[in-house]
Amino acid sequence: MKTTKRRLLIGSAAATMMASTFAKVAIAKLPLARGGDPASDKALVRMIRVMFPHKRFGDGPYQRTADAVLAAAGKTPADRVAFSAALHDLQASGFTELDDKAALAKLKSIEDTAFFKLVKGTTVTTLYDDPEVWGLLGYEGPSFDKGGYVKRGFNDLTWLPEPRIEEYAGAGQ
Amino acid sequence: MKQIAKDEKAVVIIGSGAGGGTLAYELTKAGIACVLLEAGAYLKNEDYHNNEWEAFKQMAWLDARTTSGSWRIAKDFPTLPAWIVKAVGGTTTHWSGATPRFKDYEFKARTTYGDVAGATLLDWPITLEDLAPYYDKAEIAMGSTHRHGRPALPANNNYKVFANGAERVGYKLYATGPYATNAEPYDGRPASIQDGFNFQGDKSKAKWSTLVREIPRALETELLDLRPESHVVRITHDASGKVDTVVYADKSGALHEQAAHIVCVAGNSIETARLLLLSESNRFPKGLANSSDQVGRNYMRHLTGSVYARFDKPVHMFRGETMAGIIADEAAHKPDRGFVGGYYMETLSLGPSFLAAFAEPGGWGPEFAEIMDAYDRTAGMWIVGEDMPQATNRVTLSETVRDQWGLAAPNVHFDDHKNDVAMRNYAYDHAQKLYKAVGAIDSHRTPPYPSTHNLGTCRMSAKAEDGVVDRWGRAHDVPNLFVSDGSVMTTGAAANPTLTIVALAIRQAEYIAGELKKGTL
Repeated sequence: MKTTKRRLLIGSAAATMMASTFAKVAIAKLPLARGGDPASDKALVRMIRVMFPHKRFGDGPYQRTADAVLAAAGKTPADRVAFSAALHDLQASGFTELDDKAALAKLKSIEDTAFFKLVKGTTVTTLYDDPEVWGLLGYEGPSFDKGGYVKRGFNDLTWLPEPRIEEYAGAGQ
Repeated sequence: MKQIAKDEKAVVIIGSGAGGGTLAYELTKAGIACVLLEAGAYLKNEDYHNNEWEAFKQMAWLDARTTSGSWRIAKDFPTLPAWIVKAVGGTTTHWSGATPRFKDYEFKARTTYGDVAGATLLDWPITLEDLAPYYDKAEIAMGSTHRHGRPALPANNNYKVFANGAERVGYKLYATGPYATNAEPYDGRPASIQDGFNFQGDKSKAKWSTLVREIPRALETELLDLRPESHVVRITHDASGKVDTVVYADKSGALHEQAAHIVCVAGNSIETARLLLLSESNRFPKGLANSSDQVGRNYMRHLTGSVYARFDKPVHMFRGETMAGIIADEAAHKPDRGFVGGYYMETLSLGPSFLAAFAEPGGWGPEFAEIMDAYDRTAGMWIVGEDMPQATNRVTLSETVRDQWGLAAPNVHFDDHKNDVAMRNYAYDHAQKLYKAVGAIDSHRTPPYPSTHNLGTCRMSAKAEDGVVDRWGRAHDVPNLFVSDGSVMTTGAAANPTLTIVALAIRQAEYIAGELKKGTL
């Protein structure tokens, strides 16, 4: 399912990702699942938070999003090596040490890369599709099984007057 | 269910949405047996998901498609030009429910608007007067609120913001409808429980769709042979040029042939045009019924856009019907605004999953996060207006991309006309003013979503050389071939198209039944 969403949103960005910056370390050893390499995990989670900064969100939603990004990044050896190289480059630039403003500027400088687009496209369809995030944003999710909102506040806004619901009865119709 | 033999020459309808589903019911009700071929599965209301991405994956038409042109969709959603449904019930499964009628002058767009450079405006070969009785029938069938004694939907939170804003900027023509969602039980279906899920399919059945009304009733006549997961790949014709067989693939890809006496195509504008183009032959080298070279041209998608406004107080726009508010003050043709035609404003709500995907495609950073952070303090509206037909806005067959059956995928080419751009900017401006009048802190202009209103690729015309079908939706080139969906719209008008598609289908069914009775078809 994630793959479908991602494909729709970012097209074939992942497939055409260029492995333009082969770093000097053993990229093939970088894990494509969180928990293998704490430094790369940290860089990716930090990257996602800087891209979509929500003070109210704990680390959980960002970590789950990082998992989805890693899953989306590893479809083929070419994808894996390109993603790993790009993430390694970001780490090597000292990204995790930057403050929010500098980190944002750093990401701005790579926003046209396939790597960035992959992270962005996957995050948009994952981070905000997370029930914990829904709760934090005040969204109540599935409602049919709870009888809808007809008795649960569909019209509870009180800071404006009750408007007319019928069509205008005056002239000019 | 009735089973019609494959070699029995039948009335064959392709597509079970607003046009095809309505036609199937009206014809079977008149005693005419039909085969109804639907590419999608037979989803029922209880199968739907109250979850945006799950529902999208379950029902959206996701077969291979490509895009070109300067429209933003080609950049943001290059494989998803349209957001329509592949299931029994077609796009009535996830439609919003708004049922305004077209206006009298909108059937005479060329005469009313004059010669708009770059546009291929044409008057319809029918008038509002011709269609009015069928609008009545359609509104009664669909249970439009505010019409024929149906009560209004109550004001939900999103509407309260919308209507108060309308009042403060001086609009008068606002109301909670007309919408084809029951405010009270009607026609065997319940009242809305305001569950907030609509684009995902309505589990409650309060909203009209052909799935809840026309298809079950057509099945009850025992004259309908409904075949889901039957994807039509070609329509063939005999030596005289009349269509005689419909070839379709079942879910395994096995091909079947259904002999046809009459064929009615209602696959929504992209697939209808594509199927005619795929059905080329020596006699019709440019595609079936395409001697005019008009099949696929004049594709319209309505001028759309959304505005999401943020407040410092709670709104909870997602509670209640997704769309249940309409403003018609800007729907009139007032060329002093700098454009021809008009537009409606309609309440709209998305959940966080879809708001993130569609509010600002490609967006990120603190400003994007601010939009999302304000989710429960956000009100939203959709803008829907008339866009200009253009010969180059067009559905063609891809030369490179194939679908799951190996058939050429449709390419949808679209460029905004400058009238479209002027209207959209004016509408954004007025929508933002409306929300500001009611205290918005800020508001965001959201670009058009993948098209939900797909119109005009087989347009109706008085003269054969100007279009594809005549005033009954009958192909100019092929006497027993009909088009029965929004493809036939000569121009798009400002109103949401479903009511008009249903009205045209009821009218077409009456015509077909009459001709069959007379023995002239």
